Amino acid sequence: MAAFDYAPAIVLLPFLSFLVSVGVAVSGRDLLPKGGALPGIAATAGSFLLSVWMFLTVSGGQYYDETIYTWAAVEGSFELTFGLLIDPLSAMMLVIVTLIATLVHVFSLGYMNDDGQTGLPRYYAGLGLFTASMLGFVVADNLLMAFMFFELVGLCSYLLIGFWFREAGPPSAAKKAFLVTRFGDYFFLIGVVAVFATFGTSQFAGAEAFPVLAEEVLLGEASANTFGFAPQTWFTIVGLLVLGGVVGKSAQFPLHTWLPDAMEGPTPVSALIHAATMVAAGVYLVARMYGFYALTPTTLAIIAFIGGFTALFAATMGVVKREIKQVLAYSTISQYGYMMLALGSGGYIAATFHLMTHAFFKALLFLGAGSVIIAMHHNEDMWDMGNLKEKMPVTYATFLAGSLALAGIFPFSGFWSKDEVLYEALVHGLGGLGGGEAEGALLLGAWAMGLLAVFFTGFYTFRMVFLTFHGESRSDTARNPHGVGWNVKGPLAVLGVLAVVAGFVNMVPVAKLTGAEIEFLHKWLEHGPAGLTSEHYTELTHEFAHYTAGTLAGGELGTALISGGVSLALALAGVGLAHVLYNVPEPTEHTDKLGGIKTLLYNNYYQDEYQVWLATGLTLPVSRAADKFDQGVVDGVVNGVSSVSLFSGSRVKQLQTGVVSNYAMLLTLGLTVLLVVFGLLGGWF
Amino acid sequence: MLLQSQLPNSLALAPVLVLALTALLLLVVDSIDPDSTNSAALAGISVVGALTSLGFAGWFLSAGTGQVSTGGGISLYGEALVVDGMALFFMAIFASVTAMVAIGSYDYLRGKPHQAEFYTLVMFAATGMGLMAAANSLATAFVALELASLPSYALVAFLKKNRGSVEAGLKYFLIGAVSSAVFVFGISLVYAATGSMVFSDVAEALNGTEFVGVAGLGVLMIAGGFAFKTASVPFHFWAPEAYEGAPAPISAFLSSASKAAGFAVAFRVFTEAFALSAIPAGIDWVLLFQILAVVTMTLGNFAAATQENVKRMLAYSSIGHAGYALIGLAALSAGSAQNGNVMGASMAHLLVYGFMNTGAFLFIALTEHWDIGRRFEDFNGLGSQAPVACAAMTVFMFSLAGLPPFGGFFSKYFLFAGAIGAGFWWLAAVGAVNSALSLFYYSRVVKAIWIEDPSGEFQITSKPIGLYAAVMIAALGTLVLLPGFGPVIEMAQTAATALFA
Amino acid sequence: MNPWIAIGALGVVSIGIPLGMMAVSALLRPSVPEQGKSAIYESGEIPTGTARLQFNIQYYMVALLFVIFDIETVLIFPWTVIYRSALEQGASLTEVLLPMLVFIGILVVGLVWAWRNGAVEWVKSPLAESRKTERQT
Repeated sequence: MAAFDYAPAIVLLPFLSFLVSVGVAVSGRDLLPKGGALPGIAATAGSFLLSVWMFLTVSGGQYYDETIYTWAAVEGSFELTFGLLIDPLSAMMLVIVTLIATLVHVFSLGYMNDDGQTGLPRYYAGLGLFTASMLGFVVADNLLMAFMFFELVGLCSYLLIGFWFREAGPPSAAKKAFLVTRFGDYFFLIGVVAVFATFGTSQFAGAEAFPVLAEEVLLGEASANTFGFAPQTWFTIVGLLVLGGVVGKSAQFPLHTWLPDAMEGPTPVSALIHAATMVAAGVYLVARMYGFYALTPTTLAIIAFIGGFTALFAATMGVVKREIKQVLAYSTISQYGYMMLALGSGGYIAATFHLMTHAFFKALLFLGAGSVIIAMHHNEDMWDMGNLKEKMPVTYATFLAGSLALAGIFPFSGFWSKDEVLYEALVHGLGGLGGGEAEGALLLGAWAMGLLAVFFTGFYTFRMVFLTFHGESRSDTARNPHGVGWNVKGPLAVLGVLAVVAGFVNMVPVAKLTGAEIEFLHKWLEHGPAGLTSEHYTELTHEFAHYTAGTLAGGELGTALISGGVSLALALAGVGLAHVLYNVPEPTEHTDKLGGIKTLLYNNYYQDEYQVWLATGLTLPVSRAADKFDQGVVDGVVNGVSSVSLFSGSRVKQLQTGVVSNYAMLLTLGLTVLLVVFGLLGGWF
Repeated sequence: MLLQSQLPNSLALAPVLVLALTALLLLVVDSIDPDSTNSAALAGISVVGALTSLGFAGWFLSAGTGQVSTGGGISLYGEALVVDGMALFFMAIFASVTAMVAIGSYDYLRGKPHQAEFYTLVMFAATGMGLMAAANSLATAFVALELASLPSYALVAFLKKNRGSVEAGLKYFLIGAVSSAVFVFGISLVYAATGSMVFSDVAEALNGTEFVGVAGLGVLMIAGGFAFKTASVPFHFWAPEAYEGAPAPISAFLSSASKAAGFAVAFRVFTEAFALSAIPAGIDWVLLFQILAVVTMTLGNFAAATQENVKRMLAYSSIGHAGYALIGLAALSAGSAQNGNVMGASMAHLLVYGFMNTGAFLFIALTEHWDIGRRFEDFNGLGSQAPVACAAMTVFMFSLAGLPPFGGFFSKYFLFAGAIGAGFWWLAAVGAVNSALSLFYYSRVVKAIWIEDPSGEFQITSKPIGLYAAVMIAALGTLVLLPGFGPVIEMAQTAATALFA
Repeated sequence: MNPWIAIGALGVVSIGIPLGMMAVSALLRPSVPEQGKSAIYESGEIPTGTARLQFNIQYYMVALLFVIFDIETVLIFPWTVIYRSALEQGASLTEVLLPMLVFIGILVVGLVWAWRNGAVEWVKSPLAESRKTERQT
């Protein structure tokens, strides 16, 4: 177990680099070369190596679930603890997070340092704290600890989006991101309290873990305080409350609006936080407590439907965007929709798979976009670009690999994972429909939306590629782009390779076709501590949510092939349309052809307006009314009490006349009254 | 059995005897040189005497003298006096307060005549209080009460040239005379009904007595006598004026030690003589104390909230605290196992109160020494001039209000928790509401000291070492009683439980 | 017969007789108002000034000291009566003699203190002193 002794260091190393950077930032002097980047790189690289070690140890069949520190304990009731849980899921996530964090740190050398940005210690401090918090979240062994680190990553996101706080946009975007995610976290917090109130623990793993307890309650083997609801209903409520935080953090409809605005932050930050890791926190949380969600079919169906809807909804908005990062932002929302869809339809492995591949190719795309942005002197408008493939071959090659993965083109990584997501949704939808479950129809609807989104994904992805890299240069900067160094190309190359090959770890259709044992991810997630394995989850979804696999023609294999084929065809259709419209020397805007829809899409379905209306038109009057109530009634009562006290106090004061004979009289009178009263009560006379 | 037979039983009264001897010694010293103003010697003798008394009390307490572990209370002089855990506990309170008052008076009295008389009277009063705690007969209770009271009257009027002081002394004396009359009349009625003065015999005779009415009148009037000593409604009228007019160290002495003495004798009388197990059903003194507790704490706190004068505010707050301590008698019920806990909590509260309230009044003595005015506004900005003393005052105020992390928090907490545990949650609720109100006026002092801008120039030229030392000791006591509260409450509750055995 | 009736009758008689006598004499005597009759009786002296005059505090001091010794005497008397018989019945000297010595010792300490502080000194009133001086000149 020696490896696990070093597990806390994974979290502490980036925290150390945060402290160093903060120290440098506070000192106000340039104490470190590269503005503090080197400690950050060293720390994250160290964490990466340790994570790999953890990964190897876990693959040897060892797991770690240990409470490190109990910071509050109520005797006989519950304990609030910090602890580490390292199982296949978190070990995999650790590797992903630390790898991307390291690469982003390196990339930042090119994006921030070489660009002569100021305030770099603050930037690296933010990155360090974020990495530490994210890793803390990943290894958290209980819901409360997860919540605390969940909030910390939110804080870091706020700090880093608002990094350029002297400009108008970033601070506002930072506030928006903070407030919108906080709105979701509010429900999460209530959910945490509800979990504690119900189970008295919030541990993820072990025999006393809350998913296990919930399962026992549903089976009638144990009892819990469900506040007068039927256990199933109450667990659904709790699950939905926690889901509030997930929806906020993973930018799902309707709390997705903050993510596109968050692109105001530095691009490496977007790559790390708003694409690969923090946004994944929501999905990861659902996966982490999947044993709980798997018990409540209603929650699962809602998760699936939200996911499918978001996937399509965000993809349509990505179609018309002008800025390269905006397109990527909407694609991020859309891709996380897929993961939610997978989780909701019982595809725990599919979601994890897509989480991994997406982390690689989306980080790659963002870093590629960052490279383009460096080249374009921070002009992000794609209509000012064009023909960059000649000037930036490395960026082009890697960006293309990422785009192919995103669009889901065979055999890039995105194809395998997205295919599996859609496959899971399809078979469980069919199975549910076959079994007469209402959720089945919901799943199929979600699947249909996800499938449709594949087309849009292919389209907007390649619209972006063609506008950026193909055709004629449409501006002077595009004709003479700024060069990028090794520190930009290096991370791109690493991620480019991963975007191509990451899918090979889990080629389900190939495995089904050939019968070869190459579903490594399935194998990986099948082992683990009791109650945290994918097999267990499958049993749970089958037993409690009645998920069964249905098939189309050709049995299981046929269904897999049909599903994969259809989604590949749709993706190719999207790419093809983009090719026809935009892969020309002088592309023009075709959005006018959309007519009224264009305005709708440009304005993001008026989601922002509607949320602003919610804030100003609905919440503000309610708050005013609450304020009136507070000032009028509550304060009135409080003030009333105090003025009554003071008034009676002054009355009492007047009793003290200063004339001693009055005192004697009052004293005697008081005694007499007492004597008479007690005499009458006691029957003395 | 005293100290495992190392000393004769008659020396169990050593804490009181030391105080009496110190008083006599002071008289001798003064007789040798009546015109001397060597206050250091006088204060020194008093402090040494008080500390010796405290040492004896502490030694006996820790050695288990008079406690259940060594065979129960030591009965002396034909059962006129008894020394047990509770008596020693209260003697320790009196000795601590006396020591602090003596230290503080050294500076307060500088240049004033009749210092020897001052210290002598304080010592005699303390002797009386110690005897009150040990009284085991109504006669000794009365004599001890008068021994504590008569010097107090003179001490309140000690500042002969100060009209307020003289007026307060006279009022205190007159109300005291009325109360003593009520008290002694009550004793006579109880004697008439029971034919005895000794507590255990009274209880025996009360059990199934036919003179319920006579005994009831007597019990009520005796309770009145104690209400005077503890400044409880309706016998509280003397308190605001006496505390305000008296020299501040005497205010501290009266509001802490004298009040505690009243509770000490009341606790014993009502648990031994008028024990709930023996008292006829018609004499419901628990209800009486419930009424007194609620009215006293409410009236004290409400009146304190509107005061403009800090010393007078403290006087009313002291009345309020009497109400809290009365919970120790009000939350009892016959045969309940919680009785000892509630009364013990009340005793512990009186101990903590002894430190924090003495400290607060000694701080007032300090300001009087500096000739700062007495109103809240006059304290404005004092924190910048005398930060150490003001920090101590802040500790006292917050502790009196019952905020953590000070001693007053635990004592109030245990008191209210004890009341709830005994089933009198409404008493605890009234107490909690009153505590919340009290925070208002205590924080006014803190606000004036630290936050407000000075309204005038302070003429703080001296740092009186004695007053400072006394204030610091009180602050230290208030703070140390937070971590050290465990043994204190344990000792108090054991001693109180022994009374119900 | 309730014994209280006799007591009540006694009360009635004891109040009735003086009241009756005063009433009878008021009816029988002649009424001759005169100044000398309504004047305050001061052992034949003609009263001067008001009755509300301040006595010198020294009177009280002496009176108080007298009371202390009076009480001392009261306590010593019974002690002397039992002293010899107590000794004869085997009580030790410390039991019989010592408490009284302590008691008297305490009183002596008080007396010495009072003496040293001038309680028994007949201090001349400053006011009277000044008047006397005026008369002499």
